[in-house]
Amino acid sequence: MPEFRYSNIEREMEVYGYDSFVKSHCRMCHGGCGVIVYVKGGKVAKIAGDPDCPIAHGTLCTKGLASAQLAYHKDRLTYPVKRIGPKASGKWERISWDEALDTIAERILTYKENHGPESVVFGYGTGRENEAVIYRIANLLGSPNVLTAGHFCYGPRICTSIITCGTNPIVDYENLPRCIMMWGNNVTISNPDEYKGEPFSVALDRGARLIVVDPRLTRPAVRANIWLRLRPGTDAALALGMLNVIINEGLYDKEFVQKYTHGWEPFVNRVNEYPLDKVEQITWVPREKIREAARLFATTKPAAIQWGVAIEQQINCADNNRLLMFLMGITGNIDAPGGQVLNRTPNVVNVGQFGAHGMLPKDQLAKRLGGERFRLASRFAIIQPKCVWDAILEEKPYPVKMLFLISSNPVITRANAKEVYRALEEVEFMAVADFFLTPTAELADIVLPAATWLEMDYVGDFWKRHGYILPRRKVIQVGECRSDHEMLNDLAHRLGQGQYWWENFEQALDYILHPINITWNDFKKMDYIRGEVKYYKYKETGFSTPTRKFELYSTVLEKMGYDPLPQYREPPESPVSAPELYKKYPYILITGARMPGFFHTENRQIGRLRELHKDPMVEIHPETAAKEGIKEGDWIIIESPRGKVRQRAKFTLGCDPRIVAAQHAWWFPENKDPGHGWEKSNINILTDNSLEGCDPAMGASNIRTFLCRIYPEKRASYE
Amino acid sequence: MNKYTLVIEEFACWGCKTCEVACKQEYNPFDAANGIKYLSVWPDGPRVMNGNLDFVWRVTVCKHCENPPCVKVCPEEAIVKREDGIVVLDSEKCTGCRLCIDECPYQAITFNDGKKAAAKCNLCHHRVDQGLYPACADNICLAHCIYFGDPVEIEKQILEKKKARGC
Repeated sequence: MPEFRYSNIEREMEVYGYDSFVKSHCRMCHGGCGVIVYVKGGKVAKIAGDPDCPIAHGTLCTKGLASAQLAYHKDRLTYPVKRIGPKASGKWERISWDEALDTIAERILTYKENHGPESVVFGYGTGRENEAVIYRIANLLGSPNVLTAGHFCYGPRICTSIITCGTNPIVDYENLPRCIMMWGNNVTISNPDEYKGEPFSVALDRGARLIVVDPRLTRPAVRANIWLRLRPGTDAALALGMLNVIINEGLYDKEFVQKYTHGWEPFVNRVNEYPLDKVEQITWVPREKIREAARLFATTKPAAIQWGVAIEQQINCADNNRLLMFLMGITGNIDAPGGQVLNRTPNVVNVGQFGAHGMLPKDQLAKRLGGERFRLASRFAIIQPKCVWDAILEEKPYPVKMLFLISSNPVITRANAKEVYRALEEVEFMAVADFFLTPTAELADIVLPAATWLEMDYVGDFWKRHGYILPRRKVIQVGECRSDHEMLNDLAHRLGQGQYWWENFEQALDYILHPINITWNDFKKMDYIRGEVKYYKYKETGFSTPTRKFELYSTVLEKMGYDPLPQYREPPESPVSAPELYKKYPYILITGARMPGFFHTENRQIGRLRELHKDPMVEIHPETAAKEGIKEGDWIIIESPRGKVRQRAKFTLGCDPRIVAAQHAWWFPENKDPGHGWEKSNINILTDNSLEGCDPAMGASNIRTFLCRIYPEKRASYE
Repeated sequence: MNKYTLVIEEFACWGCKTCEVACKQEYNPFDAANGIKYLSVWPDGPRVMNGNLDFVWRVTVCKHCENPPCVKVCPEEAIVKREDGIVVLDSEKCTGCRLCIDECPYQAITFNDGKKAAAKCNLCHHRVDQGLYPACADNICLAHCIYFGDPVEIEKQILEKKKARGC
């Protein structure tokens, strides 16, 4: 009888006759999962999980398993191209890397000369482990403008945690939290940032209690001991209500509060402005449920909050994050085993140092777009996208002439997609690096073929806060594709930045690793390196904040001229804030729930992933559908004051009848028109990007909740 | 009694569908989607149960029954229950009569229009015979809810897990 062993590499090699295997580190999302890549005849033959990986312990997701389908896709761009017709004409011509990079360098230097380096904006989408090189090239050029998702994705957690307690507190699943509060998140599907669904599942299997905060029914919500089904966008009020219970019932950690927090009294006064009857009215959550959840969270030790991006894409972005940290803090769970730990990353060159932020001249820093308005974001080199579109379209406060977008598809992913499209049509020169000719790339002048994670060497996860770095090892070469890091290293030389870059990018990896006295060659033989593991570090050194305390009252926000205490703001477009509009648009739309297989706009051309979701679907309560004459499976129109899109109706009892839940990030690669149907089902046609609706400190666009109306497509209009 | 079986504890499944794609990788490494699934994950609900909303992810896959009705009904003897319990459908022998599809109480047999033949999970018997776990059960599941092996042992493990969960 054979002896079975998980991920049995030797046996796989024998049975399937693979030529070799490479241990690497997947990056079909933000990274994280250790993988074993089997190779046969020079091609990737199979991908499996690496049980030695401390992050996911050998488990995987749909995307990671389909990586080879991405790498070898027939539509993949495998050489540089330049556009030879009008924008979005789909007319391209193959060019060499030299011609591509020389053209881009010449444009950058010309715009720098004529309009200042700030007229050249670099950008990336969500974090793909290319952040550090992109900031480096921009800062060394003297451009303060790097366009990212940082204003409303993860960036806010970094900014608000640094000003509150020094770094991003990460759930310590290794030490098994006894209570997990999952807030605006479903880690089992999204596996975001530092977190993977595997350790969360294990914690539940070992008996953790679960509280889920979500307007929509998820499987974790079904399994939860308490599900708080809040009105979309009212997270801050709910958190204030829970804090109110914890404080007034004396359930907080008195020693922590007394010795290690700043601003307790004014904070308590602010929390007392949110009694439970008021909170119930705002959030739709019954006060008894709020009380029950607050008690369970505060009295079960250790406890942790599994948080996510949904709370950040709102007007209350910064305060939502701070309030959740306050819940972690005053219950004594910060830096506690099984709570939320302020991890130490291995002592390598960090992303900030590599990004060369110190090299950006002060007078250039002062020109950061929107910097005077969104001062917290600007402090961390993050800009609000609308400020870039305005600078292109209206040349205010100065003209932006060039975009270089890397792994970014803003036509689909940024608020007010029509305005984004106009800006990209208008901008004088645009370079894009991507896997495919996306709707965004179709507007570019030059498109560069980007490498997938299978085609690069890198120090994986070195921007994250879970305390590990893991080697990503190159397995294959596809066409002329190059990693973002390699192409920017090459471009930097052509821009005259050579003295700050390297002959080849392996030397940059050596540079990242040099403080721990190892080279890339050493590191790539290792599974991972972990930083020092230590708990309750603040008891010895305090927190890394101006007061050395955990700041409930933010001295940093106060200095910037913001309210130093957290507050609840009503979403800019809700039944409460816009009652007249609500009569015409009588449903609250939510969007952004993650779908297995897709990563935002990615993977819709990969057959076995697209098979999981053929069409864009919008979830509607059957009562609501009946009222609007909608049948299950109908294509329906979803309309907001900004525009309309089509998705297919899926009935569910999991949404309140007052709410509809639409999918995000849809485009149709199978549509060979150069627009690829970018406007058909793209939820950002409906979202608003006015600066007034953004979080005042972070500039987070409010894309998660607004008003809409719905009707069958076969009817001409709503009325 | 089956020596080997595949058990999926649906209570613990999150619906991430990784097992579906792992299955595709094993059987169809470079093809695009073709709609044929030996294993499929689908949401059962939401519905109201005892005043609360409930829904659970279901995984439809061959259960390798003790007394498989598909074996009895196949006129070509294309489906065989092996001594170790694995029920193997040989698509090459299948003539496409679909009797097994109608007979399966779990809707676990699919039809491959291209090959004009029935198809189902054969529990990766080609892997099992070589001492390898079936593709879906090889530790890929982030919920750790896919079990392969001795049915009695699996039942014990699931019981222990239920106890540890305390719910």
